[in-house]
Amino acid sequence: MITRFITDVTTRFNPFSPQARSARLFLSFLPPNARLSGVNITTQLLPRHSADPPTLYVKFKDGKEMNIDCTKTNIKSIVEEVDRHSRMLQKNADLADG
Amino acid sequence: MSSRSLRCALPRNLVAPAVSGTRIARSSAVLLLPSSAPAPSTTATPTRHYATAAPAAPGARLSLPPDYIPPTTPPTARPADTRKSQLLRSYTSLLRSTPLILIFQHNNLTAVEWAAVRRELRLALAAAAPQGSEAAEVASRAQLQVVRTRIFDVALKIVEFYDPSKVQPSEATTITGKRVKVVYNHDLSKAAYKAVKAVSSSDQPLPESSTYAQISPLMVGPLAIFTLPVVSPAHLAAALSVLAPNPPAFPAPSKKKSPGYYDPIAQSGLQKLLLVGGRIEDKVFDQQGIEWVGKIEGGVDALRAQLVYLLQSAGLGLTSTLEGAGKSLWLTLESRRSVLEEEQKGPQEGGDKESS
Repeated sequence: MITRFITDVTTRFNPFSPQARSARLFLSFLPPNARLSGVNITTQLLPRHSADPPTLYVKFKDGKEMNIDCTKTNIKSIVEEVDRHSRMLQKNADLADG
Repeated sequence: MSSRSLRCALPRNLVAPAVSGTRIARSSAVLLLPSSAPAPSTTATPTRHYATAAPAAPGARLSLPPDYIPPTTPPTARPADTRKSQLLRSYTSLLRSTPLILIFQHNNLTAVEWAAVRRELRLALAAAAPQGSEAAEVASRAQLQVVRTRIFDVALKIVEFYDPSKVQPSEATTITGKRVKVVYNHDLSKAAYKAVKAVSSSDQPLPESSTYAQISPLMVGPLAIFTLPVVSPAHLAAALSVLAPNPPAFPAPSKKKSPGYYDPIAQSGLQKLLLVGGRIEDKVFDQQGIEWVGKIEGGVDALRAQLVYLLQSAGLGLTSTLEGAGKSLWLTLESRRSVLEEEQKGPQEGGDKESS
């Protein structure tokens, strides 16, 4: 996953719900130095019997915001969706550099 | 031929620790040992020789029964000499022996961050326990370890759904060719495999009351577990204040007391640890539940004292109530008796006066 262009990750989930799977896996995909390289990561754990759906909010350097519905999308499609935008930013950055 | 030279004939597929953990019924295991075997045909040569190497004389060849199963290598459903199988065994024994397990998700901690987190944890636990006491012993045996999620998941299933005591004995051949009954009920056995498979492949969902059904949603992603050998709220509170501080009840250690905690490496490590749940004495708790356990002041002893006090005071009330009924009855009867006595006395006294 390309994480260079992500500035904010906010998740909120109930770990006891099977739907929280993709949100939790997304957190584990962030690199070890994500916080040092300027990504704000906030995680809120919901109590065990809460029925709130898990949320995942991703913000990019260009200001684009993504609210991903974790209940239906699996981790693969989330990564795909995030990468689609990241690749575009990567392309722009490469062109600006070159 | 001595039993020593016979022992050399045993294949050594399994390493020693794998052997010690298997729960073959002891008596039958003894039957399988070569020491119970009478010495086979006399050897012509008194020299030392090994069965694994080429035997000295053709007449002295030691032949094991074709279906002989060495007691050190009981049959297994999973390959016994792989790291995964041995990890599974270590997890099952951990789950059976540890009453308190906190489950964390760790998101890409580096080795130095792990070291810093463990250092701070050890310091906090040591601060919670006075030196040389039982509490210090508990603190020294607390540990934070990374687990393989899928293997841990299987271990949870084995611990809950497999009962080793209900395994039927099977037949095995001793070194002399005798048939004996042996129980193969270790955690890698076919019986354990079948029991777990039956649960996971059955169509109906697991019962809500089972621990595994409650804890299985947590078994996702990279996991680490914090284990304590006893349920000790004091140690739990110390660990929580380091690993998952929650200010009013479990404040993070102060900057003055533990400057290492505010080290950037330790902080970035702790930020990546996420307390997702826990298992305390076979019950599943979320973060609030764990904090509730951590808040029990004085630990189990205090709870016991509270219970004793409650029972004692209830007993006192009960005795006084029961006593009260008896007392009032006694009082009533006593007053009645005195009345009757007086009545009896009255005419008698009058009669005496009349007679005199």
